[in-house]
Amino acid sequence: MRTGLMGGIAVFGALAVVACGGSSTPAATSSSSGTPAPAATGNPTTAVSLTESGSTLLLPFLQELVTPLTTQYSNITLAPSGGGSGKGITDAIAGNSLMGGTDAYMSPAQFTANQTLANIPIAVSAQGVWFNLPGITSLKLDGDVLAKIYSGTITKWNDPAIAALNSGVTLPATTIIPLVRQGSAGDTFLFTSFLSATSSTWSNGPGFGTTVSWPKVSGEGSASSNPGMVAACKTGCIAYIGVSASAAAQTAGLGEAMLENKSGAFLTPTPTTVAAAVTAGAASIPSNLALSLIYQDGAQSYPIVNFEYLVVNTTQSSTDDALAIRTFLEWTIDPNGGSQSTYLAKDNFVGLQASVPASVLSAIQAKIASITG
Amino acid sequence: MSRPRQSHIRAGIFWTLCGIALVLIIAPALDIIVSILAHALPVLKPSLITETTSGTQLGLQNAILGTLALSLGVLVVAGSIGVLAGLYLSEFAPRRVASVARFFSEVLAGVPSIVVGYVGYLVLVNKGGLGLHYSLLAGVIALSALILPYIVKTTELAFSSVPRALREGAIALGMSRGKTIRKVLLPPALPGIVSGLVLALAISTGETAPLLFTAGFSDKNPSGLLQPVGYLTNVTYTDIQLPGASTQAVAYAAAGVTVLLVLLLIFLGRRVTMSSRRMIARMDV
Amino acid sequence: MISARAGKVDAGRARHRLSSSELTFGDRVLRAISGVASVVPTAILVVIAVVMFITALPSIIFSGLSFFTGSVFSFGNLYATTTVTHNGVAAPPHAVYGVLPLIVGTLSTSIIALVLAVPISVGGVLMLSEIIPRKISDSLGVFLELLAGIPSVVFGLWGVAVFGPFLAAHIFPPLSALGHVIPFFKGPVGQGQGLLTASLVLAVMIIPIVASTTRELVRRVPILAKEGALALGMTRYETVRVVTIPYIRTGIVAASLLGWARALGETIAVLLIIGDIYSVPSNAYGNTSTIAAWIASTLDGAFGDTTGAGIHALAELGLLLLAISLLTNFAGRLVVRKVSGGVLPVGRGV
Repeated sequence: MRTGLMGGIAVFGALAVVACGGSSTPAATSSSSGTPAPAATGNPTTAVSLTESGSTLLLPFLQELVTPLTTQYSNITLAPSGGGSGKGITDAIAGNSLMGGTDAYMSPAQFTANQTLANIPIAVSAQGVWFNLPGITSLKLDGDVLAKIYSGTITKWNDPAIAALNSGVTLPATTIIPLVRQGSAGDTFLFTSFLSATSSTWSNGPGFGTTVSWPKVSGEGSASSNPGMVAACKTGCIAYIGVSASAAAQTAGLGEAMLENKSGAFLTPTPTTVAAAVTAGAASIPSNLALSLIYQDGAQSYPIVNFEYLVVNTTQSSTDDALAIRTFLEWTIDPNGGSQSTYLAKDNFVGLQASVPASVLSAIQAKIASITG
Repeated sequence: MSRPRQSHIRAGIFWTLCGIALVLIIAPALDIIVSILAHALPVLKPSLITETTSGTQLGLQNAILGTLALSLGVLVVAGSIGVLAGLYLSEFAPRRVASVARFFSEVLAGVPSIVVGYVGYLVLVNKGGLGLHYSLLAGVIALSALILPYIVKTTELAFSSVPRALREGAIALGMSRGKTIRKVLLPPALPGIVSGLVLALAISTGETAPLLFTAGFSDKNPSGLLQPVGYLTNVTYTDIQLPGASTQAVAYAAAGVTVLLVLLLIFLGRRVTMSSRRMIARMDV
Repeated sequence: MISARAGKVDAGRARHRLSSSELTFGDRVLRAISGVASVVPTAILVVIAVVMFITALPSIIFSGLSFFTGSVFSFGNLYATTTVTHNGVAAPPHAVYGVLPLIVGTLSTSIIALVLAVPISVGGVLMLSEIIPRKISDSLGVFLELLAGIPSVVFGLWGVAVFGPFLAAHIFPPLSALGHVIPFFKGPVGQGQGLLTASLVLAVMIIPIVASTTRELVRRVPILAKEGALALGMTRYETVRVVTIPYIRTGIVAASLLGWARALGETIAVLLIIGDIYSVPSNAYGNTSTIAAWIASTLDGAFGDTTGAGIHALAELGLLLLAISLLTNFAGRLVVRKVSGGVLPVGRGV
């Protein structure tokens, strides 16, 4: 009876693949780690426009992919736009976009409310903390100190708590001006997640999210984007800036903070420290792929790291749409496809396959394969 | 102090203040335009017009055509409704009705552009409403809702400012209402109507919020009323948030092209009013 | 005073002398079509108000009066697995919606903007039309309409990058000296973001509306009346004071109402300049926010609230602004009636 059941499932599965895989020619999308690509991918028979909206952090990377994607698969055109992570998810739910880009994974409530929605990681990003103190290019900071700065408990740069972490550095008596991001931002989600993970006062207070109720700090400023944060960071300021704007921060003369990770090491975001955080955290990835990579174990793990996600409806209305989406996603995470260093460099991302263990990669590819039409 | 002296001083102070006011109006406009041009300089190439915003290209063709399509749509929808409404309020409406209609029109002008956009999303775009999806049509409707009050107000002002003598002449000649409007009231009112239309179109060209939730965005040229459409202010609003010097420059280039389009509008408007002014001069009032 | 005491009937109402029985069929068609058109703005407003009210209702029930008196606004923990129910409405844990800082911010920025924009617009237009020679004034007039077409996001960027720093370096420091008399102007002066900068940029944005309309009104002043004044030996200044201004007075108030509406509803420019920090500032230079700016900046975050409470709260906020617009417009109309004193000068009507 069990054999019959298995046989029945196998037949049903094969029929499903045939029905939805339709008129596609399986393409050779081999990954470098040797894991066979389970999803049926290839060039659809009709032209498909992959509409995407959402995260502006993800946007430059996606814009890089538009031309090479269509060169590889002539019937697939990527059409990315902005609007913010929240709008991206809403558009994917409502069907106004085929994919929604977001820096923050979906919430439990969003998963419960939308059973067919999946968030699929396609790249790895990170966030730095920068400051403007003439003459000082590097400082050691930890989450607790940052939480106190953003709560208004620590107001001057030469506060004993900061001095304790930075012996040998002469800190000025300047007032600290913390900068926050206006409205809802993936970067706010990451920064506040870090503060919540390292400070119980913060975790019980403002908490984390794409928007939070920031405590009132005298002189606090705000900006509407990462480049905006760089431009607004004048003498005395401290700001959380996504790695996509690291180069700009560097050019503007800001200093990068070295953040203390769980093992006590002080690090800045580099491909090595970012990948280390992914490797450490990815082992505990849940089945819905919603994983926080904040404050992971590991001597080399940088504490503010995240997956960049595309939110997709796993039940598509057309076979070609599903095929195009699967193909695009597989191609994007392929180091020979979308995850080439020239494309990733636009946003300073780290490639997915370069950092996740094989088991996690299989889980991601299995999720991609579940997109059917 | 003698009276003429007092009067001179008062006049002097008054006109100096007015002069300062004029400078305060012109200086910011000049400064903004200069900064836009300065920032846009790196990408001011012919490829701005020949390429679209697709991928990593630094073109604006789709955005320019999209903005023009939206403006044309708004001119047709809000222009026709607004001018007719202003005409009614000035020429036909009983006093009470006119007062109420005017009041609500002014209140509409006070609705935040983001609210117009979001209500537009719920009513026009979403499946719960008309289900138009992100489209040129939804964008046109949202924009028209926003600027309709300006057109109504300026048209009404234009008509009701026509000198009494002209109206009395028409009555004396026994002209019908429609003929009076067409032959006697319209020519002198036309400059005011056109300047109101130009003002409204200028405002609508510079709007972003109402379109964010209705027009969507597209990397291709406008392809249909029910298709999403790209537009210049979206490029400015989005690209200014992205890292990279060239993307920032494109944001300013889009702003610059927007201002150029408005300049074009203004000059077209002046052409129209020029001929009506000649007609009024002949009327000798 | 050169104005005809036309009593209840003036040029704008001269049409009532045409008896209705003389309307031709064409007239009736025109009246019908234009009548329908005149209802459209009201209809749109009703649709917006109804949609907003329906969307806002859960929030009205949830927050009650504390919505208007509270000073904390938070969507709560959107990643929690439980929800909190209050008055029968569900919301995320720790969600609280109090918008007092936004009411203060909206009203103060709009009032300051209007108070500055109207005299500047009228003064500038009078200069343009009375003193400056026709040829030059036509070209300068282009700037007025050009200002209207500058994208709001560009105003915001210019405010942050150029205007704000300019003010903070050259205008605010001397202004803060007044701080001894008026605490509102006391330092610290900040770096250019904040309430006063946003109000000033708002003023620049509503000037084209008020000025363009005023310009059209000034054009309409009968030349005979002005020439008569000059013939009596009045200077240009006295002519303006005695003939032009009374003539355009009601029109200016009407144009100001439209400018006021724009100031209330301006979203993106204000958002970029005002700092978008949720507090009532202690001085003119502090960061704060307005209703429209806050809705725009937090709408994306509200989408993440699956209970919908965030969207409902923002809808209630939008409804509040609509109510403010209604009330202030009503008050404005009363002012118009006072200003015109029941007597309308010759040849105009609003």
